[in-house]
Amino acid sequence: MNQNLEEIKNQYQAKITDLKTDKGLESLRIELFGRNGLINDLFSKIKEIPNEGKKQYGADLNQLKTELEELFVEKRRRHVSTSNQTSLPTKENKNIFSLPKIGHLHPITQTERELNEVFRKLGFSVYNSPEIVTDEFNFERLNVPQNHPARDMQDSIYIKEPEYLLRTQTSTIESYLLKAKSQDLPIRAAFPGSVFRNEKVNRSNHFVFHQYQAVVVDKNVTMKDLIGTMDLMFKTLYSSDVVVRYRCKYYPEVEPGVGPDMQCFSCHGKGCPLCKYAGWIEMGGSGMIHPKVLEAAGIDSKIWSGFAFGMGLDRWTMAQKNIKDIRTLMGGNLAYKPNEL
Amino acid sequence: MKLIYSQLQKFLPDLKIEPQQLRDDLTMIGHFTNFFEEIDSEIVFDLDIKVNRGDCLGYYGLAKDLSVFYNIKLISPFRQREMPEGQRDLEILPIQITTDNVKRVMAVKISNFKNNSSPQWLQTFLKCHNTKSINTLVDLTNYIMFLYGIPNHAFDTAKSTDNLIWEMNSKFKEFISLDGSKLFLDNKILMINNPDKTLSLSFWGGESCAIDLTTTETIIELAIYDRTTVRQNSRQLKSVTEASIRLEKDLDCELIPTAFNHLVNLILENCGGQINSQIFDHYPQKTNLPQIEFDPKKPSLVSGIDISTNFSLDCLKRLDCQINGSTITPPSLRKDITIEADLIEEVIRFWGYQKIPTNQPLTFKEISDITPKEIYLIENLKDQLIQLGYDEVLTWPLITNSIDEKTVIKTQNSINSEAVYLRQSLIPSLVQQLDQYNRFKLPEPQFFEIGKVFFKDGNNFIEKTALGIYNYDSEKLQLDIKNLNLPLVKGGPRGIDNFVEIILDELLKPEKYIPNQQQNNAIELTSQIITLDANITLDNKEDPIKLILKYSQIISSKYLWKLIITDIYQDLKTNKYRYTFQASYFNLDDKTAKSIHLKTFDLI
Repeated sequence: MNQNLEEIKNQYQAKITDLKTDKGLESLRIELFGRNGLINDLFSKIKEIPNEGKKQYGADLNQLKTELEELFVEKRRRHVSTSNQTSLPTKENKNIFSLPKIGHLHPITQTERELNEVFRKLGFSVYNSPEIVTDEFNFERLNVPQNHPARDMQDSIYIKEPEYLLRTQTSTIESYLLKAKSQDLPIRAAFPGSVFRNEKVNRSNHFVFHQYQAVVVDKNVTMKDLIGTMDLMFKTLYSSDVVVRYRCKYYPEVEPGVGPDMQCFSCHGKGCPLCKYAGWIEMGGSGMIHPKVLEAAGIDSKIWSGFAFGMGLDRWTMAQKNIKDIRTLMGGNLAYKPNEL
Repeated sequence: MKLIYSQLQKFLPDLKIEPQQLRDDLTMIGHFTNFFEEIDSEIVFDLDIKVNRGDCLGYYGLAKDLSVFYNIKLISPFRQREMPEGQRDLEILPIQITTDNVKRVMAVKISNFKNNSSPQWLQTFLKCHNTKSINTLVDLTNYIMFLYGIPNHAFDTAKSTDNLIWEMNSKFKEFISLDGSKLFLDNKILMINNPDKTLSLSFWGGESCAIDLTTTETIIELAIYDRTTVRQNSRQLKSVTEASIRLEKDLDCELIPTAFNHLVNLILENCGGQINSQIFDHYPQKTNLPQIEFDPKKPSLVSGIDISTNFSLDCLKRLDCQINGSTITPPSLRKDITIEADLIEEVIRFWGYQKIPTNQPLTFKEISDITPKEIYLIENLKDQLIQLGYDEVLTWPLITNSIDEKTVIKTQNSINSEAVYLRQSLIPSLVQQLDQYNRFKLPEPQFFEIGKVFFKDGNNFIEKTALGIYNYDSEKLQLDIKNLNLPLVKGGPRGIDNFVEIILDELLKPEKYIPNQQQNNAIELTSQIITLDANITLDNKEDPIKLILKYSQIISSKYLWKLIITDIYQDLKTNKYRYTFQASYFNLDDKTAKSIHLKTFDLI
């Protein structure tokens, strides 16, 4: 390295090492890397270097910059960790103990992470697929042919009708997954994803919301596996004393279909406005993968079976975080309550 | 679908169960029952009927299900009347069917009756079904529709004549419905016309031949059509009726004679008059029932619990399935049963889903990890950005304005005018996000989003994953990006002042951002760090350092890897302070770490 640059490096190494306060760290950062800082100044002098030395000078200068930045980052990191160490603050080091700013994952991501953790422990992969999808993957492969009344369950947003649309459900990811991995069985996969419906935006409805789905394809998979795994998920996510019932429910892509209902956490099953006096709250849908869905992916349903279940994340997250308006989740005004997240 | 308990008991006289239990049982066997209420001394249930169970859009189908579930008798609530089939002295109705979209029609003319306002029982029935009472004849047609789930219609022959023609519309431009709505027709609409005028849609009667109190002669008809045609007509005309809801399901043509006979009976009983034509029955293609190979052990294999083969076969018998060895023929009523899996579901739902244990989840199984690298990359970037103090936000993928008209993807039918285009960049949404932060005067905002951006390239739709970041301090932003080893984008279309956008799909070596996956569980177990959170609520604000010191002294340094306070929150209602600690433990198993954690923070 150029001798002059080497001296600069040594000089600032010492300065960085000796730093003790936030303010000093910031001042030094500006002195070095600010718009009118030393590094920019050195770069501006490159034109004064003779042509034959320019290349070497540029390389040395870049190396200096990188090394000082690394030192700076390391100092900042150590500064942060030092601030959490366990010695008593003194007058001298009091400022060092200011808490670092920690960001927050979005509440939906937090819920997704909790679920991913549950499923990864069971050997599941996390999967995803496109959001612009074809009718084939969104409907046909899921046993919902054209003009089937089940299509009314989902108002689609079309990009190019009737072929291209925004996926209306995470089961669409299942379609892609089964096709991609039909020769690579068994499968255990979970997939969080945003889905789209053509709905007017208001406090309770949005055109985009989030679902979470898990799929298993293996030999001898049973409803007992499905219900036990779903129950584990609910107990992990909600609490170990949560009461969930599993009833017969229809979804075209599964047979038999299973609907999990959670006992209303507000009235404990007695009936209240929240649960519309049913005592139970619908938590999603599930079932054994329909043989036609497996066959559509080229999977022999006589050998392989599987289950799938899915649930919405938005309402649960809203209830957990006391968010009253679904638009808050994706409208951006979570900003006023970051400390609660 | 509304269900009056006393009417249900006419089909199931042995049904004596408490309404609340009936509500729960209906729900468990697949007919989600929202609630029941009392209307004019009647107990009325409110049900959501599954879209594949058209038969349960009538009392008869639901009663059949309950008769199997409770193992009680299903009876016909009326005595079948002998119909005047083949009587030569009666008129043959000059009805024409010119389209294949009619699966079955039965019709007859009844003359010399006296139409009145409906008897009280009928008015109450319709009130419980949220249906307005018109007059006896019209109300009886609705009554039969609710009982059997098969729509039907009565024409005033003084207005319609006897010359009814079922046809795809070819010459009429508009149609006035019973409620006076004017609908515009094309040649895709299945109609009942006479040679001179429109009379009815397949799912909605017309004003031109409406029954009123002066009507003395009618042709009544029960019909089932090609359901796709009805569905398309209903959508095209933006008209949904009780009849269209039923006719777009797969209904049982074999049930028409029973419902027809019942309707004729009721009209003659309540309005007098006599049958004045031969029965018209157009049924060109009789229902072919599926033959399904069924293994009675399968319900056990699929459910994972022991269900006896005797129960399986007995259950199918009670459903009126024909059993011939291993071949099962389901009843024509049950259009939803077409394959073995459908029969399996029938057995398991009547056996009871609640008998399947809930405490036996899958156990861990080592299967090759198919997680796309991009997902690890995103998770890793999010974690790093959080550590650098950024908040994650999510914004709308559909937005109001485009950036580049040539490549923007526009939705075709979005009903939200502010959500027409798929976003081409995260930056405009993040700019709006910044407005929110500023609106709430949040100091030193820094946030990010990882989400899809969309483009059109000719006929191809392209989506890419982008990372958008904002930092109030542009220099820190550049430093942070460098620390993340991401390419720095200055200015240009993807960087505006303190915003930066990076397309993650375009990173040259995404794998370098992905942490090594731990394949060896043993290594994972011995080296794992267990991180647990704890919320402590205090009456007064305290020095966080003192709190960290206090709690770190409780935990042995052999086990404490890291202790930080991630959040301090003042509850303005209680004026208390909540401190969120994040403690990382090592050299411990999960259970012991949790135990120490709970004890330390007094969370037990």
